[in-house]
Amino acid sequence: MKYLPLVWAALRRKPARTLLTCFSIVTAFFLFGTLQGINVGIANITKITSVSHLVVMSRVQMGAAMPLAHAAEIQAVPGVTAVASVNVLIGTYQRPNNPILVIGTEIDAMAKINADILVAPQQLAAMARNRSGVIVGVTIAKEYGWKIGDRIPVHSLNTTKTDGSADWVFDIVGTYTLQQPDWATRIFANYDYINEAITTGKNQSMEFYVGINDPAKSAAIAQAIDDRFANSPDQTTTANEKDFLESTLRQIGDINFLVNGVVAAVLFTLLFLTSNTIAQSVRERTSELAVLKTLGFTDAGVQWLVLVEALVLSFISAALGVALASGVLPWVTSGPLLAAQGIGAMHVPAMVYVAGSAVAVLLALVSGVPPAVRARRLNIVAALSGR
Amino acid sequence: MAAVVSLQNVVKSYTRGRQRVEVLHSLNLEVQSGEFLGLMGPSGSGKTTLLNLIGGLDKPDEGQITVAGERLDKLSGSQMAAWRARHVGFVFQFYNLLPVLSAERNVEVPLLLTKLTRAQRKTNVAAALALVGLSDRASHKPTELSGGQQQRVAIARALIADPTLLVCDEPTGDLDRESAEEILQLLTILNQKQGKTIIMVTHDPRAAAYATRLLHMDKGTLARDESRTAA
Repeated sequence: MKYLPLVWAALRRKPARTLLTCFSIVTAFFLFGTLQGINVGIANITKITSVSHLVVMSRVQMGAAMPLAHAAEIQAVPGVTAVASVNVLIGTYQRPNNPILVIGTEIDAMAKINADILVAPQQLAAMARNRSGVIVGVTIAKEYGWKIGDRIPVHSLNTTKTDGSADWVFDIVGTYTLQQPDWATRIFANYDYINEAITTGKNQSMEFYVGINDPAKSAAIAQAIDDRFANSPDQTTTANEKDFLESTLRQIGDINFLVNGVVAAVLFTLLFLTSNTIAQSVRERTSELAVLKTLGFTDAGVQWLVLVEALVLSFISAALGVALASGVLPWVTSGPLLAAQGIGAMHVPAMVYVAGSAVAVLLALVSGVPPAVRARRLNIVAALSGR
Repeated sequence: MAAVVSLQNVVKSYTRGRQRVEVLHSLNLEVQSGEFLGLMGPSGSGKTTLLNLIGGLDKPDEGQITVAGERLDKLSGSQMAAWRARHVGFVFQFYNLLPVLSAERNVEVPLLLTKLTRAQRKTNVAAALALVGLSDRASHKPTELSGGQQQRVAIARALIADPTLLVCDEPTGDLDRESAEEILQLLTILNQKQGKTIIMVTHDPRAAAYATRLLHMDKGTLARDESRTAA
């Protein structure tokens, strides 16, 4: 510890250069933390999504509406236990920057199909009694301070009512939670209430949720559903939720590979930058290091000072970067926009702290060892005479 | 008086390009404890090389060097570093202070190698700065001090570990006359009042006049050795 002032002094020698290097490392580790957080977050999404029910979507285009009549046809497929239609109202609550997703569905069926949705039976009954009733996720209810009995206005962005208005009013009759409560951010409304009031997309469903009696047969049932509509103008593509999400993510690319590639490229570039900074700093301090040796510091002692300098710079900056990512990632991903998509807050995984520390040490060693060895080998007489 | 420095048949050469240049030729020298030795001579005569050998910054090619009872030519690099920390204080022409450290931090540096506590180090630093008359400048950085003041900080740093020997390489070479006089008087006080053995390389006859013994070097040998009364 008593040598720390010497390390600080070395880092303070060119404050602008140290700050810029620090900023670069902070940025790199911020990216590292954030991207790994997103990576793990996405992996978690697929991990917790269910294989116990199917999602039927339009084969033509994701999100394209299908006739409501498909529901009865799907219900007739052997192995299907329940079907819930879905229409989606994308809107805002109170302010334009409070996006909200209202899913019109048969909530009774939906709760049966998706066992992850935990809602009290009396609240399901209240939904059946109140056409404008909604059951809201506990997370979004907490965010906006909603409670049962509240009436909430929603300004729709994708639908217009038959009276020409885009404003909807819903009555909160219950709340639901999920196994992952952070993700309980949607609002379930009565399908009929929305269907009757909208001008376009009436009697259509953007997707169907399908309950099945045997998850092991999900692939065969999905195929049977799609076969049923093979000759229809509204062909379907059916998969369990997990397969569906994974195939969607595969369309984006191998996210894991992309994330690791970006992080590796950033850290590799950073290695050169930090190496150059430390090397330059040591070169500039040749005579000062020679003076330290003159005063009695051993070759190994001077070498350690340079290495510790690299470690301090790398470690503190890395810690700042990861801390920043830890603060920013949940904040960004807990926003209503992502919440409306059903994506809960993402967090920097614990692995990042461990891996980040290891990478910071590695960065310090790779960038610090060559100048440290140079400092160790420094000849006092030659250095003091400027040779 | 006992010899604090003893050189026997010391040879030192350097390689410049492909040429090997012998700088010191079979040199013999004894410096007694408490002496204020001035080393004079033209450039290239080997003064600084001799000083580096006595200060344990370099090793001879041949011969024996004994300083403060230790055979320097037998010591390893780390042993030599530890020996320097205990026995030698260095004062350079261009002060060689660490620019980002305050005066007191600069003076404290040699004490970081000791087992003294922070409080003890602080006390010793304050005493050393008081000795060189810079107590009021303790928190100033080298760039905020004049040349003379910087050299006094360097002397405080050289003295802080209470070394056996003070090695000064042109300590007044970068100073104006007035500051140079102050530094030389300070060195004289350290020599006379505290009994410090001082070896000083200088080109300046007025600085040399402060020494109690003057050695003239020429072409790597001792050309003349004169004892004298200090100015």
